[in-house]
Amino acid sequence: MTSTLVRTNHTEKHMRSRDAWLALAGVVSMVLCVGAATTVVLPVNSDLGLAAVLPYPYWLGVLLLNVTFVVALRGDSSGPAGRPVMMWLLAVQVLVLFGAAAFVTDVPRGEVAFRHLGIADALADTRVVDPGIDAYFNWPSFFALLATVFRATGLDPIAVALWAPVFNVGLWLLAVALLMRYLTRDERRRWLVLWIFCLGNWQDQDYLSPQAFGFFLYLVVLVLLLGPLAAKSPRLRGLRPSAILAWWHARRPADPRAGLRVAALAVVVLLVAVTSASHQLSPFMLLTAITALTLTGRVWPGRLPLIAAIVLVLWLVYPASTYLLGHPPMEDAGLSGAVEANVAERVSGTPGHVFVVQVRVLLTVLLWALAGLGALRDWRRKRLDIRVAVLAGSPLVLFPAQMYGGEMLIRVSLFALPFIALLASSFLLPRQRSTRPTFRRSGAIVLTFLVLAAMTVTGRFGNARYDIFSDDEMAAVAFAEDMAPPGAAILAAAHPTPWRSDAYLEHPYRAIEDLCHQDLAAATCGPTFYGYARHNPDGAVVVLLRSAEASLVLQGDSTADNLEEMETWLRAQDGVRLELSNAEARVYRVTP
Amino acid sequence: MIAGMSGPAAMTALAAVVLSVATVAGLPAPLQAVAGLAILIVLPGFALVRLMPGTDPALRALLVPALGLAAVTAVSTVMFYLTIWSWQGSVVTMGVLTVLACVAHAWQEDVPARKESS
Repeated sequence: MTSTLVRTNHTEKHMRSRDAWLALAGVVSMVLCVGAATTVVLPVNSDLGLAAVLPYPYWLGVLLLNVTFVVALRGDSSGPAGRPVMMWLLAVQVLVLFGAAAFVTDVPRGEVAFRHLGIADALADTRVVDPGIDAYFNWPSFFALLATVFRATGLDPIAVALWAPVFNVGLWLLAVALLMRYLTRDERRRWLVLWIFCLGNWQDQDYLSPQAFGFFLYLVVLVLLLGPLAAKSPRLRGLRPSAILAWWHARRPADPRAGLRVAALAVVVLLVAVTSASHQLSPFMLLTAITALTLTGRVWPGRLPLIAAIVLVLWLVYPASTYLLGHPPMEDAGLSGAVEANVAERVSGTPGHVFVVQVRVLLTVLLWALAGLGALRDWRRKRLDIRVAVLAGSPLVLFPAQMYGGEMLIRVSLFALPFIALLASSFLLPRQRSTRPTFRRSGAIVLTFLVLAAMTVTGRFGNARYDIFSDDEMAAVAFAEDMAPPGAAILAAAHPTPWRSDAYLEHPYRAIEDLCHQDLAAATCGPTFYGYARHNPDGAVVVLLRSAEASLVLQGDSTADNLEEMETWLRAQDGVRLELSNAEARVYRVTP
Repeated sequence: MIAGMSGPAAMTALAAVVLSVATVAGLPAPLQAVAGLAILIVLPGFALVRLMPGTDPALRALLVPALGLAAVTAVSTVMFYLTIWSWQGSVVTMGVLTVLACVAHAWQEDVPARKESS
């Protein structure tokens, strides 16, 4: 007995020392990555985005982190390393992958987060929801949340937007971790899924946005459906109506506690309502998932899809009716149109930009291929979980239903990602569940991770040339918004432009690329946007930023020469005066 | 013990009252953020989750932020549509919601005792 105790103490000591080394390796990875990211000089001048300008210590940090994680995942015969170490490594991964841009700059990336801050600000100032303003005011709940939180806490909205990706991914991971608890008992598999979820998350939908919030609520609803509201159903014996009816009635709740089920149902209804009021797309994803799980007999409240559909439709026909009158649902439905908008139209521009887009597509294909192989392996061994297959596939149903500005494929891949990661993990881990991976297999996992990490950083930050803004650009936008009298139009060359965060309702904001319907030839587009600016009774301010010009050039919509020609033409027109010029921007006033 | 509440429920209710008042009255910069987040998200989430019987700690850890965020979103949205929104009003409403959830929890805990005595 004494020798057993000594052996146990020795093993525990060994494990503690191993975990300490793993945690230390995590610290070193973090220091390498963060240190390297802070040395990046702006603006990013590569068509390949941030990946091309991050110094080698960043990649060294990524390499070390992934190797460390695989060593921790391998653990010993009893399982992976201790939970605190695994959580710590995951936290470092989130910081390194999703916080990289925040170490490069203190300005949030992209245009949309600025717009969202502006909507929240406008709501707080007007204190009323006017659905006639634009689509956002038909789904205003997320902005109501922001308005309340910002005003009550005094938090700096820009800082919140800057760190939102880290915060959002943290919340998502918490929900995915809970989901995995209901889907697999294999602890290694659970950690691996969380890791792959991070490495496959190139979609860049975690910024301060209703969709990030909606995705979190979506995951929480799934947790409740697979947990307290789950059903056990017998094997379906044939497809005759009587057999289906018998199978349906034979379902039983998986959790015997009726009180918990009722409370969970109430929470689900609340979350469906909040999601329906916050975002256009997320509630449809939610409805599809709820319906799919219910129809496969995996959810106990059989009428839940109906309840969710009623909540969703009620929101659409009352608060969101203003928007829907002009934009009927399914108006641009169709598979060929969806493929055209989501794939074909995006693969254009400079060779560097096309490469980035191809990396994104390839990463998605790679993950889905791994998931397919994992599903095949599970199916052959008769352990394919129908819930996982259903949840991985259900977002695809919506792909042909809406183009969603050409972003539907991005959203579909995000909503499917936790389950794609779970299926992929079946392929990466040994066939025998809960078995320690061999050295050879661990090497293969490390290699897969490194490929995924390189692709994710490339895909995620591939637009850095035009979605990371410099201080000069921010100063020019602030100057333009201060200078423009109320009602004056503010024009920028293209999206993204970091505007509308302060004076959302005070000015009409127009991108020249939209006014000219993408025909940016100087000879035709110049007179179009100049005419628009001149005819605005309160005049206009034209902001020309380096980033917006890079966006047009990179995506193949214009050339540097053409944009220079257009600016020269503008300068020569009546009533146009240069008000500000710095290394990255020019601001012109156009008098009516 | 406050109004039949015991332990964490009483503490939560008391914290909700104190933090509501402090947040509305105004605190120095970092404290205002902490108090604001606590009264808007954490405390309501915590109090509402306690109404769900038998939730395990991991599920509770997820539901606290989820329910807190959903509740403050719902409250703010309704206030905007009723044109009665103010951040102070939202803070007070979330405080009241937290206290009510604590009272409901105390009542929920009392039910078996009342059944036994009857």
